[in-house]
Amino acid sequence: MKSPNKAGDHKAPNLAKSAENDTNRLMKGVGVSGGIGIGQVAVIERLTTELCPKRVLQSEEVSEEIERFDMAVRVAADRLKKIKSHIGSDHPLDDHKYILDTHILLLQDRMFYEGTKGLIASERQNAEWAVSDMILKITSAFESIEDEYLKERARDIYFVGERVLRILMGFSSESKIHQLPPNSIIVAHDLSPADTAQIKRESVFGFAIDMGGRTSHTAIMARSLKIPAITGLENISRQVQTGDTMIIDGSTGIVIINPDPEMIFRYRQLQDVYRKYQQSLMAYGRLPAVTRDGSRSVRITANIELVDEMDIAVNHGCEGIGLFRTEYLFLGRGDLPSEEEQFDAYSRVLKHNAPNPVTIRTLDVGGDKIASQLNVSNETNPALGLRAIRLCLSRRDLFKTQLRAILRASTYGNCRLLIPMISCLTEIQSTKQVLEEVRRELFEEGKPYDSAMQLGILVEVPSAVAIADVLAKEVDFFSIGTNDLIQYSLAIDRVNEHVNYLYDTLHPAVLRLIRQIVNAAQARGIHVSMCGEMAGDPVNIPILLGLGIDELSMHALAIPMVKKLIRSISMEECREMTARAFEMSDAREIHTFLESWIRGRFPNDYFVDQS
Amino acid sequence: MIAGELLERTVTVGNQMGIHARVATMMVQTMQNYACKLTLMKDGVEVDARSVLGLLLLAASPGSEIVIRANGPDSREAIQEISRIIQNEEP
Repeated sequence: MKSPNKAGDHKAPNLAKSAENDTNRLMKGVGVSGGIGIGQVAVIERLTTELCPKRVLQSEEVSEEIERFDMAVRVAADRLKKIKSHIGSDHPLDDHKYILDTHILLLQDRMFYEGTKGLIASERQNAEWAVSDMILKITSAFESIEDEYLKERARDIYFVGERVLRILMGFSSESKIHQLPPNSIIVAHDLSPADTAQIKRESVFGFAIDMGGRTSHTAIMARSLKIPAITGLENISRQVQTGDTMIIDGSTGIVIINPDPEMIFRYRQLQDVYRKYQQSLMAYGRLPAVTRDGSRSVRITANIELVDEMDIAVNHGCEGIGLFRTEYLFLGRGDLPSEEEQFDAYSRVLKHNAPNPVTIRTLDVGGDKIASQLNVSNETNPALGLRAIRLCLSRRDLFKTQLRAILRASTYGNCRLLIPMISCLTEIQSTKQVLEEVRRELFEEGKPYDSAMQLGILVEVPSAVAIADVLAKEVDFFSIGTNDLIQYSLAIDRVNEHVNYLYDTLHPAVLRLIRQIVNAAQARGIHVSMCGEMAGDPVNIPILLGLGIDELSMHALAIPMVKKLIRSISMEECREMTARAFEMSDAREIHTFLESWIRGRFPNDYFVDQS
Repeated sequence: MIAGELLERTVTVGNQMGIHARVATMMVQTMQNYACKLTLMKDGVEVDARSVLGLLLLAASPGSEIVIRANGPDSREAIQEISRIIQNEEP
């Protein structure tokens, strides 16, 4: 959570102090694999295509040059096969081994192989020049791809081409990555999968990389290897030299270059504690979230976006899915997903979690984000425009297809239907009408569905909070969507850098809105859950329990931590803290109060953000 | 031209990440067992199923429709195998 008050963390050493002189120089990137690494920098150099020699060949040199290129490709392929053969089935990267096959096939790919030979033969370019031209040509073709993952694959052809260039130019075909001294922290502009596959786990303590991207292979592989990693550092490979001492904290994304002995000592302690702490925490995932006094039990569920995220959620101890976002089925494609396709996804998640509940949220995007054939005209203010339930009610065909798929899947487990962005009574009434129509159709077609499927609304628009008592009569449950609720009620676009400092989860207004929602739900005896980021931040937990939330849905990784916290506090403490927080008039004050309480109460835990 | 069948089939991409590196690699490796010519077509762009680059540049997102064309002695078996890979939801 980005809270307004981060100063004075008692555990993370003071970083600002000596940033000006050469010791303790600080950089910040994106932490993609957790943990702390302390060691010596090993800079891995990459060749750049600009560096290669360019020469126009004499016609009699052409066949020899093609031969030279051919040879380099063969050597490169042999080398990759050798690297691959070192990864046994018990190696943590076994799952990612295929990427080396991909690289081998790329070497032999017609587009690259024949294309390069073509440039040598017809343009009379020397092999290095031809290879680097081909790399540029192919990577630029990837530029126009919209899908972020596929776009990143341009890196793969780059790595393959670079390998051939190294051989042609007489460099060692490998970076020295497989023979690094112990305690190394690898710093590079970018790492190829073959680089990562060759490292010795026991000698590498971390990765600090200029490039970044959630789908980069370095990030994925570092997590598999359980090595701390930070990406997106932009130019760290030019800021440090091999042999420099460096600390990286893969949880916060912080890098400290040339730390002084005091800093190293503090991080060593932190590292030790962190390691033991992470190990101990996972055990809490399997336990129920019952308060210490045994008086209150809260259901802890996970937010997921992809069907594949289920496993990690279950591993971390979720008791169902509190928010299954269905947008991914609709995004990044030219058409709309079919009923069958949706049914498949929903029924898989339901089956996997049964008998635990799965809350499926209907499409929650603006029309501009999905299939172009929806012909939604440009809106000047999309956040307040035709989106979520408004879009669904105006495009009944789209909505009915999704409802049919959800209803049909509902017999596979414990299904709950969640409608986003309800702002008035009519919207939920119309939704119920459409739902009824779909039920009737399915009944007539003889297709089974769970007639007791619960219907709920995502309470995230301030007007819905104001009439929560009215809406509570219409539905079986409420789910509080804090991200949008905060954005709409405080009138702050959290991605707008000019105003996002005003985005306060603990704004007294937000707490009062939540209290009003819970009270309305309790008055009707309906279930109330919370699925925004607020629910997964330990600092907020005492208040959320004190207010009477029944279910907290969060990012899977937060589950063990939140369970541990709930199991360590009593309801009396929660009520007391909630009462005190409601006496305070300012978000900062509330945040300081909660943070210092949690630190005092749990001095050995990492419930508070370290950054 | 080798005697064989000219076949065409339309399939939907089942994988949640679309035709990504793993799927493309699998297809090219599968094609190494067949002699026929086989292409994938999407939005008027046709690529060779023996080219990883071609397959990646097709940028086939989940749910997109792909026209497969095969021509050659073992085209029936090849089109069967390739369809299965494209439609499969697992990586």
